[in-house]
Amino acid sequence: MGTLEGVSLMKGSSELVKGKSYTASELMAITTAKEFKDWEVAFVGIGIPLVAGILAKRFHAPNLSIVYESGCIGPEKYRVDFNVGDSSAADEALCLTSEWHVFGDLQAGYYDIGVLGGAQIDRFGNLNTTAIYGEGDYKRPKVRLPGSGGGNDIGSSVGRVVIMMRLEKHRFVPRVDFLTTPGFLDGTPGARERAGLLGGGPVAVVTSKCVFRFHPETREMYLDTIYPGVEVDEIRQSVGWDLLVANELKVAEDPGEAELAALRAADPANLIMGGAAARQKLSGLDEFLELTLKYAGK
Amino acid sequence: MTENNHGNKRMTLREAVSAYIKDGASITFGGFIGRDCVAAVHEIIRQGIKDLTVIDDSKTDIMDLLVGAGCVRRWEGAYLGYGAIGLANNVRRAVEQGIPATLEVEDWSNAGISMRFLAGGLNLPFMATRSMLGTDIIKYNERIKVVDDPYGGSQVALVPAARPEVAVIHVQRADVLGNAQVWGFTGNDENKARAARHTIITCEEIVPTEQIRRQGNMTLIPFYCVDAVVQVPYGCYPQSCYGFYSYDVMFCGDYHEMSKTREGFLKWLDEYVHGCRDHNEYCAKVGWERLQALSHLEKQFNRI
Repeated sequence: MGTLEGVSLMKGSSELVKGKSYTASELMAITTAKEFKDWEVAFVGIGIPLVAGILAKRFHAPNLSIVYESGCIGPEKYRVDFNVGDSSAADEALCLTSEWHVFGDLQAGYYDIGVLGGAQIDRFGNLNTTAIYGEGDYKRPKVRLPGSGGGNDIGSSVGRVVIMMRLEKHRFVPRVDFLTTPGFLDGTPGARERAGLLGGGPVAVVTSKCVFRFHPETREMYLDTIYPGVEVDEIRQSVGWDLLVANELKVAEDPGEAELAALRAADPANLIMGGAAARQKLSGLDEFLELTLKYAGK
Repeated sequence: MTENNHGNKRMTLREAVSAYIKDGASITFGGFIGRDCVAAVHEIIRQGIKDLTVIDDSKTDIMDLLVGAGCVRRWEGAYLGYGAIGLANNVRRAVEQGIPATLEVEDWSNAGISMRFLAGGLNLPFMATRSMLGTDIIKYNERIKVVDDPYGGSQVALVPAARPEVAVIHVQRADVLGNAQVWGFTGNDENKARAARHTIITCEEIVPTEQIRRQGNMTLIPFYCVDAVVQVPYGCYPQSCYGFYSYDVMFCGDYHEMSKTREGFLKWLDEYVHGCRDHNEYCAKVGWERLQALSHLEKQFNRI
């Protein structure tokens, strides 16, 4: 199950970026955090997107409201969640309600931004979180993934979508095996509107090496920003189509110490950012409880 | 829709499961990967119930257990993973390799399936949604009908009402009549209880009806939807229950490691489900001190 498991759920990994003091997951979280604006309402999932949201709240977007599909609106995050329905998802929430109401509010256009991941993406930002076929098909795939969850709903109706994915050729494919969540569909002008979709679609794909954005007319993904030390060719080789590159390619800055420290404090046991390896490092539940209380100031 | 609205509906978990959940039944569970019906699911497995059709939004632990134990024939739902921990190993084995049996899957989105429960609860044949349009979910799911808005707007997707035979819903507290009060998020529980033919409420606490009356707006599910009321403290463990106990990420991580192989899963199942006569024995096996530590943590954040 190896690499597929990681990013389809946006789990972290403890591996450091070559020559740097931070991991690719940390870099992705910090880059994604910058996509949130103050006073926005954000539909985020568990895993790295949540940590990105927490980080945004601690820096430039203190009034960001996070919404979970279980029915939690605007919790204050002193501890991380491992499921969207953890009791922690409700900590000091502004409103606790039902799942169908939250999806109703999403469809009614109340939510500004959503963050999604996937196992596969194509150049128009369509996502697959349902199945990797391999030699098989939908009914008997090589890897059965979790399915849409709320991903399709967010991709259909939220104001704009930020996608987080590790940059690997088997993920950035000409055609996704199963189109779970709509990006710009076939990329033709007005494809989303014709399908009846109300949301704005994807605006950025944050990866472990770069950030892609979408051309305003052709809706095709292009390379917008690279991280320090990354070569454009390296990115071209990790994408399964002929990649467009911005005329004025940007180079991102290394994350600051304050951001890294805040990120690590948001997930003190490193269970979101560090994945299974971090779990094995903990001595047991007691240590997890201790860290959780300490960093929540309890 | 209960056939017994006359007084006390209190039962043991064994009685309730055996009375209402039959082989081949369609079933839905309350909660949303949190406040999950773990105790009831263990009892379904202990009673060897087979061929269930589960209609649900998102589930992790309890579906992975039911599928691995061979209780489920078909899944109609949106998400089957293992939260931030990983993919659901038993679900994968069932879909990819037919172990222990092939799981028939019908994919929906969470909003799509939510509308199915709303339609069921309102006694309407279908509901409309703007989700799933333009995707392969619709391509492979023939029950989703894309139609033009008859009033002249853009196209929408229609989804059929869900009417499961049984809903099992765990809540913080209920009275013996079945008035069920919920704190924290409510998922689709109000609609699931209304859509289902029979509803089993499991709860942390049974309280007098007078106490229910003092906070009537916390009653998510009124008595007339409910057939059975079962008190099962720590009934969601290792999942969380708002105001009572937090999620045990370490226990779930261990389960996920064990369930990577069929043999490991069966060993886990023998120890924690078949090896326990009831939920009380399961709690004792987990350790009451561990459970109390999670209650302590939860009460630092959320109190009822």
